[in-house]
Amino acid sequence: MDIMRLTEAPIDVNEALAAIADPACGAQAFFLGLVRNEFEGRASAGIFYDAYVGLAEKELVQIGQELKAEFDIRHVVLIHRVGDLPVGTASVLVAVASGHRPEAFRAAREGIDRIKARVPIWKQEHWANGTDSWHDDPSALT
Amino acid sequence: MDQNISVTTLFFSFAADRMNAREVSVPLPKGSTLGQLIAEHLLPRLGSESQDWLFSVNQEWASKDRILHDGDEVAVIPPVSGG
Repeated sequence: MDIMRLTEAPIDVNEALAAIADPACGAQAFFLGLVRNEFEGRASAGIFYDAYVGLAEKELVQIGQELKAEFDIRHVVLIHRVGDLPVGTASVLVAVASGHRPEAFRAAREGIDRIKARVPIWKQEHWANGTDSWHDDPSALT
Repeated sequence: MDQNISVTTLFFSFAADRMNAREVSVPLPKGSTLGQLIAEHLLPRLGSESQDWLFSVNQEWASKDRILHDGDEVAVIPPVSGG
């Protein structure tokens, strides 16, 4: 079974494991992205994830379809969380199942790379000193 | 007779900060393109780098020659940073 969606709720790893369970698959690859306690050497308390929900979910579905078409995988789960997340929280999950490990590793790697490159989601860093800045905002580079 | 249309324009991330809004309704002459909306209504407030950003119409990626229609939902997509 495939799952591609945004969520405001905590990411449930067991839901993803259940979705990709398949006796025909000898390999499962998982990637979990977590909120870090620093960005470029500056202490961070957490991240706010903004998203254009409608288009982001369409793009996740598109990426999931691409992975199944390009790699020999049988199941794919792509879940991105949005909202305010403290350090240590899972923000994104990629899980795939395939017959063997090479295509599972490749598809999982490609899945997270395409999510980061294309899905309309934006990070706002909550710095430990109480200020905020959006990633990639040219006016924040001061 | 001139007719006007109205499009809903959505902003996210630092684009929303620059517009001081998440959503703005913009009146345009009938037959206007996405490029005209950007050049005349958005660039002055979003800055020149916004010319290189992506845009969508009705939740589909759109090019600047796309003709807009009354009630369309345009979204301004600054460089994404999910993950």
